[in-house]
Amino acid sequence: MTEQRKDILDMLAAGKITAEEAEQLIAALERDQAPAAAGHDARPKGKVKYLRVVVDATDNGEPSRVNVRVPLQLLRAGVRLAALVPPQALVKANASLSDSGVPIDLTQLKPEQLEALVEHLDEVTVEVDSPDATVRVFCE
Amino acid sequence: MPQLVTVKVDRPDRRPIRVWVPVLPVALVLFPVVVLVVLAAIVACLVFRIGVVRALGAGWRVISALPGARFDIEQGRTAVLVAIR
Repeated sequence: MTEQRKDILDMLAAGKITAEEAEQLIAALERDQAPAAAGHDARPKGKVKYLRVVVDATDNGEPSRVNVRVPLQLLRAGVRLAALVPPQALVKANASLSDSGVPIDLTQLKPEQLEALVEHLDEVTVEVDSPDATVRVFCE
Repeated sequence: MPQLVTVKVDRPDRRPIRVWVPVLPVALVLFPVVVLVVLAAIVACLVFRIGVVRALGAGWRVISALPGARFDIEQGRTAVLVAIR
């Protein structure tokens, strides 16, 4: 219960306002809170279509900016395409990744898991701030 | 399916480049090349024992999902934009 709602109910209990007035005040409070909540999480859930990567940096005194927008549908299609990679190619890729210091077993990565990852990307927001660069990864 | 690919390149002290590529007409003009690419893909699928129909379907999904993609890179006074609609 919010502080304002509690105040209204206290006033009602103390007899300072009538039940109708309390109802009107609570309704007005809810109207005010709805846009505020929408502003806090402005992205409508389930409606996101794009993965955005925005990088603002300063390189040798020159400002640089990378702004990439990728449709989530493209990520899903890519996952399906990646599922066609033959196992022998995955074994070679594993060996190369291991040699490069990235010990990831790609054969353990199932297409369903990747699809689930893409499905939940809309809830992901990554922000990295450093003195020279700002990186934002989000969905819209 | 993508309809239009826009490429813009701005470089200091040079004329900016603006290219609008209508995908369908260009694909029709390059139809023989497209057929060769598809045939090569089918052969590759057979060699690597990948389902041809699944592979072509997945490739088509990737092409169909391209509209809306946008890559915008700026470095100082140089800028490159690739947008697919």
